[in-house]
Amino acid sequence: MRWHSVKNPGLIDSKILVPFAFAGAGSLGTIVAGWSAWGWYTLIWAALLLGAAFWLTRASGFATGGSGEAAMIDDYLAARERFGDAVLPVWCRHIENSRVQMEEAVSDLAARFSNIVDKLDNAVHVSSADCAGGASITDVFSHSETRLGSVVSSMKSAMSSKQAMLAQIKDLERFTRELRGMAEGVASIAAQTNLLALNAAIEAARAGPAGRGFAVVAQEVRQLSMRSADTGKEITNRVGLISSAILAASQAAEHSSEAEDKSMQSAEGMIEAVLNEFRGITDALVEQSEQLKQNSVAIQGEVGEALVQLQFQDRVSQVMAHVRHNMEQLPALLRENRDLYAASGALAPLDPDRLLHELQKTYAMAEEHAVHSGARLAAPAATEADEITFF
Amino acid sequence: MAKTIMVVDDSASLRQVVGIALKGAGYEVIEGRDGVDALSKCTGQKIHLVVCDVNMPNMDGITFVKQFKQLPLYKFTPVIMLTTESAEGKKEEGKAAGAKAWVVKPFKPEVLLGAVAKLVLP
Repeated sequence: MRWHSVKNPGLIDSKILVPFAFAGAGSLGTIVAGWSAWGWYTLIWAALLLGAAFWLTRASGFATGGSGEAAMIDDYLAARERFGDAVLPVWCRHIENSRVQMEEAVSDLAARFSNIVDKLDNAVHVSSADCAGGASITDVFSHSETRLGSVVSSMKSAMSSKQAMLAQIKDLERFTRELRGMAEGVASIAAQTNLLALNAAIEAARAGPAGRGFAVVAQEVRQLSMRSADTGKEITNRVGLISSAILAASQAAEHSSEAEDKSMQSAEGMIEAVLNEFRGITDALVEQSEQLKQNSVAIQGEVGEALVQLQFQDRVSQVMAHVRHNMEQLPALLRENRDLYAASGALAPLDPDRLLHELQKTYAMAEEHAVHSGARLAAPAATEADEITFF
Repeated sequence: MAKTIMVVDDSASLRQVVGIALKGAGYEVIEGRDGVDALSKCTGQKIHLVVCDVNMPNMDGITFVKQFKQLPLYKFTPVIMLTTESAEGKKEEGKAAGAKAWVVKPFKPEVLLGAVAKLVLP
């Protein structure tokens, strides 16, 4: 950078003013064009350039030579220094305040994201395993269905046993019929025996005294046959009673079995209906839970992307800190410039390269270097896995 | 038992962002505002991994890693540098200090978690 030394402002030629007039116009253009890229930093430089152009324009009007101009230059340099001392700290405080506020706001925002993620995780956890023992509702339903199925099987088994018992009772009825037949056989034998005893008694009477003993035997046989007939009748009566009792028991058991069968079918139908209702509810809950999980995954993806975006605050904060630090150096530079004039009488223009070089030394991001060179870059993409450097 | 990861960054929002990613994956997180603050918290508890920024006030990340690695208990604790710096020279400084990986911000949570899972102490 070539320095323009102006030992005597009284010798300033009007030809020199033309470039400075252009500098003034250029600085206005810089404000408009560079504001979005460099903000306050551009404004400072533009203000300084305008000041220089303004002073030099005025200096040409008062170009009468002598110590008056020197005093005026000194006044100008002092005023410029005061300007820097007054304005720069305010600008820097605003930048720092904005940076801190932005950091706090983004930090708070990140904390809220953290809460959202936690609550979402809890909701998914509760919906997928919401019973006290940690079993899912589908597990509970499946377990209940198995247990109820087991109850129905037990009831069917009991019904089957009862049917077998009924069949056995019906078999008893067959036995009583056989017994009745046997009793009738006894009665028939008794009747035949009675008839034989009667004939024997007749023949014994016909035999006279010789047949008296036989008559006694015939009488005894007749009595036995009559007792056999009575016993046969008694057996028949008892068998009849037993048969009636068995028939009544069989009919009662059959009625009971039919009623139980109907109850069983009704209970089975009701259990099936209740299970179906529960199945409908659990299916809906499972579907909702699955939907919640899918939404959770989608939201977590969005939160992941938000976490990437939140990191740009850190980048912006760093850039603002670098620029603020650089701006803070400007008053010292103005002071030095004035001291140089006071010491040597040489009016040296401010050297932007020096400050810019200092600014460049603070850069941490490739993006800062690119922007410094005038490039307009899109926001950098998030680092991919294959871009990580492992040592 | 959850593994403990120390996150060192002067930006509170960045500590939050890294914390959300790590806690979501089941890690416990302790935070340091800068190198000095982080060293003051290395008081003997097990630290399974450190995620550290480079440019910080009071003590920068490279100096922190050098001093952290001098502590006998943390000699083998892996360190991931997480920074906006991407210059090769800085990466070499990190490597020389004892860092195991260099991740440039902004990062995707799953990318950082992949690096953490690869390096975290058992």
